[in-house]
Amino acid sequence: MGRTLIIARRELTGLFYSPIAYVVLGLFALGTTLIFLGSFGPGEPAELRPTLRGVVWLMVFLMPAVSMRLISEELRSGAIEPLMTAPVTDTQVVVGKWLGAMGFLGALMLPLLGLVVVLEVYGQPDYGPIVTGLVGLVLVGGLYLAIGTFASAASENQIIAFLLTVFVICFFTVAMYLLPQASFVGAGLRQAMYYLNVNMQFEDLNKGLLDSSNVIYFVSGTALFLFFAVKLLESRRWR
Amino acid sequence: MHRAPTGPAAGMGERTMIKVQDLVKWYGPTLAVDRVSFDVPEGQIVGFLGPNGAGKSTTLRILTGYLPATSGQAAVAGYDVLRDSLQVRSRVGYLPENNPLYPEMRVEEYLHYRGQLQGMDRAERVARIGEVCDRCGLAEIRRRTIGRLSRGNRQRVGLAQALLHDPPLLILDEPTAGLDPTQIGHFRELIGELRGKHTIILSSHILPEIEKTADRVIIIAGGRIVADGAVDELRAGASAGGGLRIEVRSAAPAVSDAFGSVAGVEGVQASMDDGWCVAVVTAKQDCDVREPLAEVIAAKGWPVREMRYERASLEEFFVQITARQAEGAAG
Repeated sequence: MGRTLIIARRELTGLFYSPIAYVVLGLFALGTTLIFLGSFGPGEPAELRPTLRGVVWLMVFLMPAVSMRLISEELRSGAIEPLMTAPVTDTQVVVGKWLGAMGFLGALMLPLLGLVVVLEVYGQPDYGPIVTGLVGLVLVGGLYLAIGTFASAASENQIIAFLLTVFVICFFTVAMYLLPQASFVGAGLRQAMYYLNVNMQFEDLNKGLLDSSNVIYFVSGTALFLFFAVKLLESRRWR
Repeated sequence: MHRAPTGPAAGMGERTMIKVQDLVKWYGPTLAVDRVSFDVPEGQIVGFLGPNGAGKSTTLRILTGYLPATSGQAAVAGYDVLRDSLQVRSRVGYLPENNPLYPEMRVEEYLHYRGQLQGMDRAERVARIGEVCDRCGLAEIRRRTIGRLSRGNRQRVGLAQALLHDPPLLILDEPTAGLDPTQIGHFRELIGELRGKHTIILSSHILPEIEKTADRVIIIAGGRIVADGAVDELRAGASAGGGLRIEVRSAAPAVSDAFGSVAGVEGVQASMDDGWCVAVVTAKQDCDVREPLAEVIAAKGWPVREMRYERASLEEFFVQITARQAEGAAG
């Protein structure tokens, strides 16, 4: 675990040295505030639910921007070679990089905590759904960053890594929302597709339901894509 | 994840640091390393010499565990590079070709990071970073950002990083590429200081950089080892191929016949150059044929323009070998 955290810390500091980090931080804070203001006013319930429903869409584009450089930058610069010849396993490299990006996600959540303070000042918020909603957002972010880690191991080009991540995420959001509505899709398949839909899994948490099935969905999805990333990195050695 | 180490091979009398046997590496349809075998005893400084694309980097990458071989075995300090990769990696200090670093990090910060990856605790890192910075001439620039360093200083950082955990084996891939002659001189001194403390493999495509530092030179071309031995041995082998170059004004066949009949002469190669005949005479072992040849020339009354020993240098030997390999590959 030690070396994983060492890699995570370097990744996090590396992220803050790149201009992308500040663009993402700025856009996320701006987007979040705008979405919040849209549902904030007298008579409205003091909750984050409508805000988070919008913010989770913001993640579709901002998480890939965070993750796109994780491994692809090292592949491009060749820094992967000293890293993979140090006594660390491929799993430690992948998980460390993902954890570093998760640390950045933590920084992204700060403006949301500011919004909670605003709700506290102007009303009596129900903290249950707020907490589960924020946990849900971190779980969604974790999954997207895992998809991004996988994509960034696939190409030394950051743009390709970004687009591949957005594409895969759109499969789990847009496609799994539109396809189930098609007439040729049977009831069983429809159920399965809705289960795969990230937003629907997130909405349960956003409502204040903390169900193990949602958590299992996100944790296993994240683990699966991190596993793919490890396999992809391993396979690079054989080419 | 961690497999139990098989441990250094039993019965390692005079300890072998590197054992490579029948190493083969295919990149898709391209054969990069072709049945390479060599052993390196502990403490030796080995120069890995060959033209670009000869398979040097690939062989070194296999030794560091970065690339797996297609077939064959490689072991470092008795540990198989594939099965006990982590054991090997903690015993190897590696400076990759092009020396990729993180440009946004400061020198000291980067060395701390590398030390942490090697599992060194803070006190150990602080002490060792001080030592390697002094040794590699980084003391003045420890706080500078790597991205702003000159090529030479970046190379020092790479070397400091490789030395940090005091590994028994140092693998330096093209360590002097892009350095100016003064920097190369410094680097040579540094390697001299490390002699006896580490086993060192350094690669280069330029001979003089290696022949002064290495105890032994392995010349690799076309993925194969074409020469392997102490620098002096290789030089002796090379100069045996030299000959006596004589330029006289005469016809080539006449010169060839006349010189060929002299006792002790093994062969004559004569060619015409602008009315002059250039003859390269090779003599039998330990025969000085200069005097009898001079007598022949005097007897024939040929005007002489030049007579000198052409001693093939190790450099020429290297060029010859690699050129042969290139022809072989082309044909």
